[in-house]
Amino acid sequence: MSDEMEHRTPVSLANVRADDPHLQPAAKNPRRVEQVIGLLFVLGIACFIGFAVTYFLDAPAWTYGATLGMGLFLMGVGQVAWGKYLMPRGPFVEERHELASSEMERTAFAAAIVDRGGGTVKRRRFLFGLLGGGVGIFSLVALIPLMRSFGPQPKGTLFKTNWKKGSYLVDSTGRRVQVGDLGIGSIVTVFPQGFENSENGQAVDQTVLIRISDEDVVTGKGRETWGPHGYIAYSKVCTHLGCPVGLYEQQLELLVCPCHQSQFDVTKAAIPIFGPAPRPLPQLPLYVDASGNLRSQDGFNQPVGPGFWERA
Amino acid sequence: MNNVRTLSPKRFHWVAALLVLLLGTVSLYESSAGAASNSPLQTTRANSGTPNSSIVVKNKAGTITKYGDGAIIYKLPSSALIPLGKALFEENCASCHGTDANGVPANGTSGAYPNLRGLGPATVDFWVVSGRMPAADPRSVQAGRKAGRLDAKQALALAAYVNSLDPSYPYIPTPNLKTANVSDGEALFSLNCAACHTIEGDGDALALDTYAPSLRHIPAYQVVEAIRTGPGNMPRFTGNLSDAQVRDIVKYVTTEIQHPNNPGGFGLGGLGPVAEGFVGLALGVGVLALVGFWVGERQ
Repeated sequence: MSDEMEHRTPVSLANVRADDPHLQPAAKNPRRVEQVIGLLFVLGIACFIGFAVTYFLDAPAWTYGATLGMGLFLMGVGQVAWGKYLMPRGPFVEERHELASSEMERTAFAAAIVDRGGGTVKRRRFLFGLLGGGVGIFSLVALIPLMRSFGPQPKGTLFKTNWKKGSYLVDSTGRRVQVGDLGIGSIVTVFPQGFENSENGQAVDQTVLIRISDEDVVTGKGRETWGPHGYIAYSKVCTHLGCPVGLYEQQLELLVCPCHQSQFDVTKAAIPIFGPAPRPLPQLPLYVDASGNLRSQDGFNQPVGPGFWERA
Repeated sequence: MNNVRTLSPKRFHWVAALLVLLLGTVSLYESSAGAASNSPLQTTRANSGTPNSSIVVKNKAGTITKYGDGAIIYKLPSSALIPLGKALFEENCASCHGTDANGVPANGTSGAYPNLRGLGPATVDFWVVSGRMPAADPRSVQAGRKAGRLDAKQALALAAYVNSLDPSYPYIPTPNLKTANVSDGEALFSLNCAACHTIEGDGDALALDTYAPSLRHIPAYQVVEAIRTGPGNMPRFTGNLSDAQVRDIVKYVTTEIQHPNNPGGFGLGGLGPVAEGFVGLALGVGVLALVGFWVGERQ
């Protein structure tokens, strides 16, 4: 067995002689290592003092973390290095006694549990039944939130929004949009009046109003009157996964969905020209009333947003 | 004389002339095809030229006498700058936009380049002072912000000159940020700007190689100019935002967006969970693994 291998053989700490190589530090040059560790501790202490100083100077918050963290880190590195390089290199073994209890003790314990414990519980049959019943009831009650999450049925809300014949177009503050309000190339998110701050309104009624011209705009067949004075309105809910399609590029005349980059051609009834969206954005037919307010001729002629099973 | 057929100097001239003609035709066709198609940099006249302010005062004849209020002050550039602007325009702009600024260069096609007449001073000022014009590549999809060839005063002079050809609006804005409500600005920014420029204002890619630029390092008045004139593909925010609301947005952009408060010391570009997760994994877990290895290693 070589000298090196002999050092690596674990020895019992109780039996080693004072000059045993197992008691030597791991470092070849312990004096030098001690200096380095000393330096680490001094730097760590400096960081702690720096922490106190930054605190009193009201320095930026990150300096607290930097000084305190660096101080703790340096002290920790110093301690680990001390343990690794300056302590007796070992390895040592330590004999231990058997962990298991004696056979007699184990038998007695088992007897106590089964005979006395079991008998005691059996004597309180009534309480035991109640406890069991409680556990059962608890499991049933815990199912209720799960059942609740299956309903209620959305029913009509999937098909119908709050846009109706004659709804006023209002912005998020509830102000009615007038025909002179938007310049060409402008966009604003609108809601049917009365639903601008309702939870349901935010979800399904949100509509982008864009002005692309100062003349009437026809985006497709049967939509001859839908775009008065260059105003066109599309549902803001993407037909892919329902993200808000709020990115309007005025020269390309595209609406872009921020989630999956679907692009809708604003001038051609918002047909998707790129991306995963399967259907055009539904268009809201508009008209301008006698006092110059923008209003909807009717609701959307198809369900807004992503597809669902019952959708025709 | 030998009777081997060689290309005589006379014949050579004919062939060379034919080749030059052919190449010339092809290149002419290509350049005219390129020039005839509308560049995406196109800014149509209908796209600008209204005061675009919530406060407009008109006289009986319907002429605008005053607009803007305490929230944003709109100023016409001094007419003393017009001669300087004319010289600069002929030097830097006329080769594409034409000497009349109508988008028709000396021997070019109408409609090839944007018509600048009637666009108003703020539009011209914004494009020039942000370094987008003169364009590095007139056929690029989008002109990017860069260190301008012309400085702020020269941009103002160009705006004064172009506007003198066909006076229009909006004028050069100065937002009064002292009275701004940064909290309202944050809400309006989230609603109107964040979709394209991102909630941190870093900008992002859009359709067909276009992108929304970053909002960092942009002076307040240029933010107003962009909101009010809608440069490039950016929508123009007009009647739906009052002057006070624009001022609030600009305050939010020039404070919270441009000088974000990062309690941790590093914002990591404000890119959110991707950047933070990367740093957490690479630095955090990586360094911890190295430290653990060092602590547990046996000699």
